[in-house]
Amino acid sequence: MTDARAGFRIRSAGKHALLIAACILMIYPLLWMLVSSLRPTEVIFRSPGLWLRDITAENYVLGWNALTHPFSHYLLNSGVVVLGSILGNLLSCSMAAYAFARLRFRGRNFLFAIMLLTIMLPIHVVIVPQYILFSKFVWVNTFLPLVLPKFLATDAFFVFLMVQFIRGLPKELDEAARIDGCGHFRFFTRIVLPLMTPAIAATAIFTFIWTWNDFFSSLIYLTSPDNYTVPLALRSFLDSSSGSNWGAMFAMSILSLLPVFLAFLFGQKFLVKGISTTGIKG
Amino acid sequence: MNALGELGAPGRRAMGRKGDTPDSKAGFLFLLPWLCGLAFITVGPMLASLYLSFTDYNLLEAPNWVGLDNFKRMLGDGRLHNSLKVTFAYVLIGTPLQLALALAIAVLLNRGMRGLAFYRSIFYLPSLLGSSVAIAILWRQIFGTAGLVNQALSVLGVASPPGWIADPRTALGTIILLHVWTFGSPMIIFLAGLRQIPAEYYEAAAMDGAGKWQQFRRITLPLLTPIIFFNLVLQIIAAFQAFTQAFVVSNGTGGPSDATMFCTLYLYQRGFGLFDMGYASAMAWLLLAIVGILTAANFFFSRFWVFYDD
Amino acid sequence: MKGGWRAGVLGLAAALAPLLAGCGRGGAESGTVTLRFSWWGNDKRTQVTLQAIEAFQKKNPNIRIKAENGDWGSYWDKLATQGAGNDAPDVIQMNESYIAEYGKRGALLDLEKAGVKTDRFAPGAADAGRLKNGLFGINAGINAPAYMANPKIFEAAGVPLPDDRTWNWDRMADTARRIAKACPKGTYGMENPVGVEPVFKLWLRQAGKDQYGELGMAWEPADGAPFFEWAKKLASDGATPSASEVSEETAKPIDQTLAATGKLAMWSQWSNQASAVEKVAGTKILLLRPPSATGRCADNKTWYKASMLWSASAKTRHPKEVAAFIDFLANSQDAGRILGTERGVPANLDVRKAVEPSMSETDKRVAAYLDAIASDLGPVPIVTPVGGGKFESILQRHGQDVLFGRKSPAAAAKALHEEMKGLLK
Repeated sequence: MTDARAGFRIRSAGKHALLIAACILMIYPLLWMLVSSLRPTEVIFRSPGLWLRDITAENYVLGWNALTHPFSHYLLNSGVVVLGSILGNLLSCSMAAYAFARLRFRGRNFLFAIMLLTIMLPIHVVIVPQYILFSKFVWVNTFLPLVLPKFLATDAFFVFLMVQFIRGLPKELDEAARIDGCGHFRFFTRIVLPLMTPAIAATAIFTFIWTWNDFFSSLIYLTSPDNYTVPLALRSFLDSSSGSNWGAMFAMSILSLLPVFLAFLFGQKFLVKGISTTGIKG
Repeated sequence: MNALGELGAPGRRAMGRKGDTPDSKAGFLFLLPWLCGLAFITVGPMLASLYLSFTDYNLLEAPNWVGLDNFKRMLGDGRLHNSLKVTFAYVLIGTPLQLALALAIAVLLNRGMRGLAFYRSIFYLPSLLGSSVAIAILWRQIFGTAGLVNQALSVLGVASPPGWIADPRTALGTIILLHVWTFGSPMIIFLAGLRQIPAEYYEAAAMDGAGKWQQFRRITLPLLTPIIFFNLVLQIIAAFQAFTQAFVVSNGTGGPSDATMFCTLYLYQRGFGLFDMGYASAMAWLLLAIVGILTAANFFFSRFWVFYDD
Repeated sequence: MKGGWRAGVLGLAAALAPLLAGCGRGGAESGTVTLRFSWWGNDKRTQVTLQAIEAFQKKNPNIRIKAENGDWGSYWDKLATQGAGNDAPDVIQMNESYIAEYGKRGALLDLEKAGVKTDRFAPGAADAGRLKNGLFGINAGINAPAYMANPKIFEAAGVPLPDDRTWNWDRMADTARRIAKACPKGTYGMENPVGVEPVFKLWLRQAGKDQYGELGMAWEPADGAPFFEWAKKLASDGATPSASEVSEETAKPIDQTLAATGKLAMWSQWSNQASAVEKVAGTKILLLRPPSATGRCADNKTWYKASMLWSASAKTRHPKEVAAFIDFLANSQDAGRILGTERGVPANLDVRKAVEPSMSETDKRVAAYLDAIASDLGPVPIVTPVGGGKFESILQRHGQDVLFGRKSPAAAAKALHEEMKGLLK
């Protein structure tokens, strides 16, 4: 018995060792950035290695205060945009997905194709007309152009994702609900949504991460530095024509990775929750 | 069971007969936010850009109609043809590699080990950095002419290693590698899909004596096909629009010697750099046509390999 | 009921729009004028610019200035988008390569007509922003092409510093070769000029031509070929970095280049970037005149440029206040003392005199360099015309083709010429 157990331990230790090696390879660039944030700026580019000789926290202190506001101001801005986007996406995309996946109505096919079409056009040619549109509404330099579209299911990616998940739910559920006299809305909120938890978790995580990292739209719509989100604020440390504050930028980049990383760690729990179909199939 | 067939059925039959479209009212209500978004935010600008593709528009003055001139220009534009080549190479090589890696890691990290959450987070980390300016620096630290890879190679005795990101022959390869490195997003989606496969299936199969590999082939893969299909469609669409990584690593030039000049990078340069937004819009619609055809083909062929439970 | 809902949606849109347009940004309090001011630069430039804004606001309590600063890389996309939406900032920091794109298309305000004075400017400095249809940019700082040398590397290689009044291109190449041979691998004698616009321009001007003229292109492919040949030879001789290193350089920001990290003995740079490079290199950097074809510095045909310019949006609702602010930035000694030489040497001679005592040692040398080359100046170059703004990146691309052996120097010169001709409208 003990031999088999020892064998298992060795195999699993081996697996862990391999995984850890793979991890280090995967995140080497990030480790380098972390290490560089602890080096003074002048020294950063002289060494591609990870060995820390003169550790200093000055980049964090300086970087936090280098811009007009302490960096927490920009983290908060990003937080507002991100939370609004997550809420918007979850609400609107799930509704649209339910319609496409489970409801039957004229033109469904056509509208689904249109929806996919909207993500096939590169943003650079749509942004100018969009900007002109938002500028006519005088929404420029507010968070509205970034958050409001999320409440209108403009992220077709998540609609499609949820459609695929809903289609994975057995049709018996629908029939049972109909027999029980359950209307679409109750069916949607009471049964479909809870069963789609992995898709919802994925949507929330991705919305968080992509909105947190969005640069181009934020650049165009947020003109005043007071409204800058994190990616814009990070750019403020740099200027390729006059010398940049790399240490501070790396330090603040590491700091801004933390919320995303934590969101991901936390959100994983919901990805893990699987569905138990014994009650339904039986 | 095909993807669009299911969706298409009601559309083809119903023509004013209320019985075949029982859910029109519900459909409209559930779709209302999306329809508003479509009307106000998406369709308007898209139609505007379609109009612009038939004009000469320099952003600062009113557009003036030139008809098909932009499209005729595209036929003779060598740099456009090169950018199509670069983009296709990236899609045909990069997308399968990225998806295969994402699926493999997702399956590996699905169950049965301690510390899964930790490993998953680590493998996802690269995707967090994907579009930041820091990526350019990091990639240069590794793949630059004096970067880590070359330093390692010179220690191993290689005389004149290639320039990687700075050499036209290998530059695209480093961008593809960057794309594969950021496999975190499809991996998460695969994980979510794997989580929806009921554990009972595996238990039943194990009781019948099926091994791990058989379980993968007979249970996991078929039940995962909707998700694989989803990732395939969207990663192809995204890969055709690849922009940020090449932009950041080549500093917007698409270099060296146009080796990393993706279609969207080229159209961005023409639109914003050379104030040639009419031509850029025409290129965008060409890209849309290409991607649209490929996606339609994807949907068409999905009937042969995608399995839906409904 | 067929199209009913569709009509409803569109009607909703039409109804909402004016409503939303009404609740826009809060209107200004009566009497206060708010100007939007955009510029690019690092945090040091942001600091001094904000201080200058403070000083102006103190003197003009009814004018508020809103800062909209960013970095060079994203600046132009933003400005172009804003321009498309008729939404450009009131005061815009402008660059010579783009001023024609905006000025000729009616996006900029004629500043002379608006009342900004340039009479105390150094001779010719004001013309940096002058197009045929008006003065659209006020010189925010004078700079000029220069060659910079790292004396430490010369010392280590045992090569004497060149005499910049008598050197020519061949002599520079020889010096570079000697240094490269004497230095460890990875350190080179000079940069490869194949992607450097000012060097290309110097070659054209020394050959009696120029980049642009009244009628557009002012050079022929035959004028460009010798430049590419020379660059190719430099690379194959090892005097300059390899092709890969050269193409990598173009993607690097200024503080990571081979020059800044002490791996180049000589390179070309705009004079106002000297202190940025010096800071990273950690050693004193010398400024040298560019070589001439003949060996006489009076023939090197160099020129003064505006490192950047102050422009204004033609659609501004407050042209008087805008003119007052730009006038302050360019002509007031207070502004000059605050802004310093961070953007170049002040064009206004009085301001320059006032700033001189507080200049850093490096900036004093830069100012001295600008004075010294006054006698070498060639004819005033034409402002980059519409379509010419991206010349340097196009030059780099063809240069890479030459260095990587994909095109012959003559073919590259021809391709470059054709491409530029097609872009100039």
